[in-house]
Amino acid sequence: MAVYLLKRLASLGLALIAASLVVFALIEVVPGDPARTMLGINATDAAVAALRDSLGLNQNIALRYLDWAGGMLRGDFGHSYSYRVPVAQLIGDRLWVSVPLAGYALALTVALALPVGLAAAALRGRAADYGLMSLTQLGIAVPNFWFAMLLVLVFAVKLPLFRSGGFAGWDAGLGAGLWSLTLPAVALALPQASILARVLRSALIETAGQDYIRTSRAKGLTARGALLRHGLRNALIPVLTIMGLQFSFLLAGAVIIEKVFFLPGLGMLLFQAITQRDLIVVESTVMLLVAAVILVNFLTDLAYAWVDPRLRRRGRA
Amino acid sequence: MIALDHLSVRLDGVPVLQDLSLRLKPGRVTGLVGESGSGKSMTALAIMGLLPAGADLTGQVTLDGAQISTLPERRMARLRGREIGMVFQEPMTALDPLMTIGAQVAETLRIHRAASRAEARARAAALLIRVGLDPDRVPPGRYPHELSGGQRQRVCIAMAIALRPRLLIADEPTTALDVTTQAHVLALLRRLVAEEGMALLLITHDLAVVSQMADVVAVLHQGWLVEQGATTRVLARPAHSHTRALLAATGHRPARVARTEGAPLLRVEGARKDYVAGRGLFAAPRRVRALDDVSFTLNRGESLGLVGESGCGKSTLARAVLGLEPLDAGHIALADAPVSPSMPAAQRRRAQAVFQDPQGSFDPRQRVGRLVAEPFHLTGRPADAAEQVIAALRAVGLKAEDARRYPHQFSGGQRQRIALARALVIHPDLVVLDEAVSALDVSVRGRVLDLLARLQAERGLSYLFISHDMDVVRAITDRVLVMEAGRIVEAGPTAQVYAAPRHPRTRALLDAVPRLTQAGASGV
Amino acid sequence: MSRARIPLPLWLGAPLVALALGMALLALVWTPHDPAALAIGEKLRAPDWTHPLGTDHLGRDVLSLLMAGARTSLAVALVAVGIGAGLGVPLGLWAAARRGTWIDDLLMRANDLIFAFPSLVIAILITAAFGPSALNAIIAIGIFNIPVFARVARGGALTIWSREFILVARLAGKGAARISVEHVLPNIASLLIVQATIQFSLGILAEAALSYVGLGAQPPTASWGRMLAEAQTLFYGYPRLAIVPGLAIVLTVLGLNLMGDGLRDHLDPRLRQRAVQ
Repeated sequence: MAVYLLKRLASLGLALIAASLVVFALIEVVPGDPARTMLGINATDAAVAALRDSLGLNQNIALRYLDWAGGMLRGDFGHSYSYRVPVAQLIGDRLWVSVPLAGYALALTVALALPVGLAAAALRGRAADYGLMSLTQLGIAVPNFWFAMLLVLVFAVKLPLFRSGGFAGWDAGLGAGLWSLTLPAVALALPQASILARVLRSALIETAGQDYIRTSRAKGLTARGALLRHGLRNALIPVLTIMGLQFSFLLAGAVIIEKVFFLPGLGMLLFQAITQRDLIVVESTVMLLVAAVILVNFLTDLAYAWVDPRLRRRGRA
Repeated sequence: MIALDHLSVRLDGVPVLQDLSLRLKPGRVTGLVGESGSGKSMTALAIMGLLPAGADLTGQVTLDGAQISTLPERRMARLRGREIGMVFQEPMTALDPLMTIGAQVAETLRIHRAASRAEARARAAALLIRVGLDPDRVPPGRYPHELSGGQRQRVCIAMAIALRPRLLIADEPTTALDVTTQAHVLALLRRLVAEEGMALLLITHDLAVVSQMADVVAVLHQGWLVEQGATTRVLARPAHSHTRALLAATGHRPARVARTEGAPLLRVEGARKDYVAGRGLFAAPRRVRALDDVSFTLNRGESLGLVGESGCGKSTLARAVLGLEPLDAGHIALADAPVSPSMPAAQRRRAQAVFQDPQGSFDPRQRVGRLVAEPFHLTGRPADAAEQVIAALRAVGLKAEDARRYPHQFSGGQRQRIALARALVIHPDLVVLDEAVSALDVSVRGRVLDLLARLQAERGLSYLFISHDMDVVRAITDRVLVMEAGRIVEAGPTAQVYAAPRHPRTRALLDAVPRLTQAGASGV
Repeated sequence: MSRARIPLPLWLGAPLVALALGMALLALVWTPHDPAALAIGEKLRAPDWTHPLGTDHLGRDVLSLLMAGARTSLAVALVAVGIGAGLGVPLGLWAAARRGTWIDDLLMRANDLIFAFPSLVIAILITAAFGPSALNAIIAIGIFNIPVFARVARGGALTIWSREFILVARLAGKGAARISVEHVLPNIASLLIVQATIQFSLGILAEAALSYVGLGAQPPTASWGRMLAEAQTLFYGYPRLAIVPGLAIVLTVLGLNLMGDGLRDHLDPRLRQRAVQ
């Protein structure tokens, strides 16, 4: 287990370094002079030179990367050019919207997908299976931001149950805060739940054909009992993979959904920063999102080992 | 007592089992024998109520007079594991990879609420000891992937007998195991039957296993029960022609003239090959020696056998001889020119091979004509390639028009003939036969062995014949090499080695082979 | 087990895809009106004979926009699939041919790395850094298709490499490259086709999302995502403007996914085998 953990930690570190290099390169190296980009074409050369100086752009590029990466590690995300405040503060405020939203959506995803996937696999080939699978096909095909618009139309405009946008704030109480995140979370969760339900179903059906399922039935389990006791656990391995990837989709999806609902989250910050050409904020926000996704994939790998003894004990023999 | 009465099974409308009646009495071992497709596995699944979807059952299965074949799933499940236990063929995949073996044995008890959690754990541990798993070496906390095939099969047996069922069904329980392991598992089954007084339905393709194990035998052929009776009587005086054909094929040896005195063709000197297992960033690499100082010579026109259990290095040696894998040390020469993965086509064409799997050795998307012509890549495609392909197909007993068909349209035996045609189409000096007849039914195997003997005589071919099957090697080889853990432990003329084995490994292998005892009392 | 029967999902999906493709192809040569022509006097008209789907807030014909948008959306997704398959499949085949060596290790590590990135966020970053355009959207989406195809190709190829007919091909003196092309690729083609339909549909969704946030196709290029973005403020008064392009996306993606499912059932003999119930 320790060897496995060490290996995973090493590749986690490598992934973070590689990701930061990519983000750094995309923002600061490729598209020309960042200072000019930020100030726009009408800026005077003197203003550009001043900004280059204050951003440290005249330094050696390797030093600049180390400076930036080191700052990130210490929690120093740089200084926003347009907001005139530390980026860490900007991000800190918005995390309180984006993280609960992604978590809420993930919870909804699992809560929807688990019963649907199980039921469809247990009723494989019957009308209920076809019905559920048709629904999930539809769920996958719906763009979440469009579904969000429809939800607003129905549940905020026609039936005024929810606010059509904005965030009540956690100061207004947990209930009010969650209530204002409900429509966005539902919009995010539906397509992901559809995907997860389908993966779960096919993983269960795949394991149902395995020899050990037949063995467990020879021991006296019913078909359904074998599915629950042996099928589900074994099917969890592909399901975990998908769930790890889904967190990445949920984060990215949240970026767009926040735009539909005018939620003051990381996505909103990212788009405002792109419009205002505030590259420092863009860089840090993207890096944070990427790091979060990589971290979740790391946790997924650990979950594998927890489920699968073959991984846990590898390297021991 | 469990009885089958006029049992018939159709799968998607196709009859796979027809009008089978059988009595399975306590304390008695019934051998159910047949070739693939004879319906023997379907019989087991029908008794267990585990027939696949689309199967249609008529007739009845009764347990002490009560019909069980019409029971709903929930009530049938209560009988499975408690009244009837079953052991399947493939021990490598029969266990849940995510559960410890102790928990899986305990599960049988827990499902039927026969014990509390703690009690079930204790009884599972006792059962594992009873099937011969030493708790110091294989504790109940182990996971299946940490066990060998034979150990896993013991776990399966422990699960099946945990509740002392009245009937144990074992479906080819030792087919996937090495011959010495097979002997141990069969002995275990025999002991358990004697101790528990349960009925055992032993399903097998191997008449020798039946002759060692069964009190009564039932012979299935294409879904029909063709003969049943006391094992001694059936094997000594078979009444049905199919039983006679099976018996004849089991001991079949092709007529061939021994040849050992040709000029040396293949020389292997000091061959060594290591494999790295468990490579990793932090783990120290562990080296496994697959070939350890192997030396031998194969003469022209000779048939040389190579026997040993799985993992002894036979297949590694075959690949090295074929120039598919490099050696770490040592030297291989074929017709006095070196063999290596980078050897020129003119050298490579001297040796061709036939492998074990009649399914996997053909690209499913190519027609037979193209498949057989593949070795022409080594010689340049001759102008009369199509004629040569047809000649090769004819030489192995196939027809010219077979060149236009796909491999899946042929039976297993026909496919091995196609593989042989492919190997022979460029007229190699040496043919490596790596378990080439192991996957075939016994009657088909006999005919392929006859073909091999005939082609060798006609063309002066040399064979390197690799097999785990001691009987087949005796039938087709002049000399034999015995391998263990990467080394050749014994070599000599086949007849001599079989008659008077010198090395303990050779003796163990020969002793473990079930003997077909046809005359007098059943073997004990 | 009838081999030739076409599965139901294929029947349902193919016409939907054909409809979208037909619209896109037709839009290359003809649309009822100029999709870029503004006519403020004609704005926000309900559907009638001249404008079967009405007009938008700038008086443009919605049907023409829909057709031109189909062209953009399908082209972006298709080229992105082309990039992904064109680079990913050879990489996957190469990794499988060199399985167990450092090349395989390196390729797959790099693959996992790209895979671990939140693709849409990086696509947003790329289009933000290089300027929003349909071309940059194609590149951003295409890059993330590469590891998907590489992984599928390698996985499929590994099972083929372990088969005995590959040993036979090596005995016939064939090299790894030749074996990959002659034996491996034809045997994983069905897997790749299925994956291509899935990535195609994901590409359409990604293009729509990028265009919706203003980082995909730019005016005057029509795209389904842009139609949705422009409809957002008018949505409560004129839901038609958002429902039409949204339905176009849903039906096209649905069609592609159904086709993928159908093709999988049709092409993968493994799924035709029956398992114990």
